[in-house]
Amino acid sequence: MIMRLRFRRLAAELMAAGLLVAAAAGARADDKVVKIGALLPMSGPGSYFGAQDKQGIELALEQINKAGVNGAKFEVQYEDSGCSPLPATQAAKRLLDQYKPDVVIGEECSDATLAIMPLMEQAKVPLINAGSSSIKVTEPGNPWTFRIMPNEVMQGVDIATNAYKRLNAKNAVLLYENTNAGIGNAKVFGDTFTKLGGKILADIGFGRDVNDFTSIATRIAGLGPVDVIPTYTLEGQGLKITQALAQAAVTKGGGGQAIQLGTIWLPFGFEQKAGKAALGYIRIVQFDPTDQRPAVRDFIAAFKAKYNQDPTHLHAHAYDQITLIADVVKRGAKDAQSIRDGLAATRNFSGVTGSAEFDKTNQNTKMDTVHYMETLPDLSWKALKWN
Amino acid sequence: MTVVLQQGINGVVLGSLYVLVALGLTLIYGVLVQINFAHADIVTLGAFSAYFFMHGVGGGYIPSIAVALVVGGVLGWLMNAAIFAPLQRKGSELLPLIATIGVSVMMENAMLAWFGPIPYAFESPYSNEVIRLGGTFITVQNVLIIAVSALTIAFLYGFMKFTFLGKALRAVSQDRETAGLMGINPDQLVMLTFVIASALAGMAGAMLGPVLVLTPFAGTSVIVKAFAIVIIGGFGNVEGTILAGLLVGLIESYTTQYLGPGMIDIVVFALLLLMLAVRPTGLIAEKREENV
Repeated sequence: MIMRLRFRRLAAELMAAGLLVAAAAGARADDKVVKIGALLPMSGPGSYFGAQDKQGIELALEQINKAGVNGAKFEVQYEDSGCSPLPATQAAKRLLDQYKPDVVIGEECSDATLAIMPLMEQAKVPLINAGSSSIKVTEPGNPWTFRIMPNEVMQGVDIATNAYKRLNAKNAVLLYENTNAGIGNAKVFGDTFTKLGGKILADIGFGRDVNDFTSIATRIAGLGPVDVIPTYTLEGQGLKITQALAQAAVTKGGGGQAIQLGTIWLPFGFEQKAGKAALGYIRIVQFDPTDQRPAVRDFIAAFKAKYNQDPTHLHAHAYDQITLIADVVKRGAKDAQSIRDGLAATRNFSGVTGSAEFDKTNQNTKMDTVHYMETLPDLSWKALKWN
Repeated sequence: MTVVLQQGINGVVLGSLYVLVALGLTLIYGVLVQINFAHADIVTLGAFSAYFFMHGVGGGYIPSIAVALVVGGVLGWLMNAAIFAPLQRKGSELLPLIATIGVSVMMENAMLAWFGPIPYAFESPYSNEVIRLGGTFITVQNVLIIAVSALTIAFLYGFMKFTFLGKALRAVSQDRETAGLMGINPDQLVMLTFVIASALAGMAGAMLGPVLVLTPFAGTSVIVKAFAIVIIGGFGNVEGTILAGLLVGLIESYTTQYLGPGMIDIVVFALLLLMLAVRPTGLIAEKREENV
């Protein structure tokens, strides 16, 4: 009798355990989660990238997770990768070991991206990059890294050609931070500009610890009339360079003739911070807020509703990274390998920054993410429609 | 010739900024034989205090310098009362040193949480007023930096040489125990040193704010140079610090002109190594008893 009771109790416990396991398995099947790792600079001089990227990501998540994609919800784990190789490597290892993501987005800074790429390749986790312009990110061809923005060669050749042909610039001073991206961007501009017949008057690289740019502006002022000054630096140093160049009466903002040129390094709002010194600044932005496509108007409206502010290109390209993953999942991708394959097979993805389609090096070949803006006296932008 | 003169002006401005930051460091070292790693963060907080006084309260830039000075002084008082003095009483030199690193990390992250990572545009009304003279130029803000730096040096010199408290501070720096036997309260004077040094750091922040990029890491970007200046000038030696600050400022300007800005750190830190090898006492020979 006692034996029978014990057997019944054991059978009941086994059944209950079985039901629990089945329920748990069922729950997993119903609640598929696409795990996205985000390696973004949250501290240090590049931390404005991370702060703005996060807002764009959160908006995309909110929209996507309302209905899910093919039954899957999206989840993001953020890690501070610090815009430089060492913290980026540590953050990537932490992310891969502990979170085990299906796909990773980031970093913004080329040196950091180059440092984490081998780790992603080793772990066979696809990396989507939207902010690193160094040619080295895609040029050797890494099957696990995809870049949705134009690289330094695409941007540099384009802006140098426009400077020479559209602005009639005959000489230039190269100003850049001493990083892979800074050096690479400046070199491409210099090579293209020289080939076209232009002259490089000075090639000035500087560290991220330089605080006062008056001495650099003085040196440039001593060179005589300068036509264009392509500048590659983060926002903080960029502000001080622009102001110092105006104070030294080199650029239009200070009564000189030189035009500062830039690519996507600077966030929106830069001109308002730099003030009149930014007058005449021409730069590439990755997102055109005047774009009338419905997707862009909807994005701007949703962003304003959520954050009570206008979106910048950083918000936009972070948003696009998530919607690109959603597009790939919608096409059937489920795990790291199929997301990688789906990314490689992407054709004419349309995001808010522009479109994406990858070549054999996983570089986006589309140039419609390049928008030229000129700063007017009231510090607003004029879209130059050069592309 | 104009360029040479202009770079000289630039160097003096930069040097004056460095001196403002380094003076507090050297004062604390001179009296306490202690390195304060949190000094950079007091500079940053001073800059933010001035910024928010102007943009939050609507105050003027000159009063904001006074606000930053007071905020720095109060912070110095708090730091000494809550952390450094109790740890020093335990007789360890290492504990307060480690505590300054802890305070620095804590303050940096607190400012990051409060103020965010995006650079602030701290414009003084004098930043864009440019005086042009015979091909050279200087902003009114930079004239103000030189003036404030000179006044601070004069004040500190007068305070140390001619006031009772200044003489008492020098006595404590020479021999703390003997000074105590003479009726001087060393603890109060250590507190005074902390307050003055931190007030100077706060004020330096208000002066630096419009020149540097204002983020929670602003002070950190100059503190390495300030440490180098303190070493080149002679640990704890005020006159040496002033001389070294101006020298480093001028070296930076002329290096930018003739060698390129990428060479600045190489030249400055080569000088530091040279000083350590050839003249470890600093530019002005160390006389511990007369440092401050």
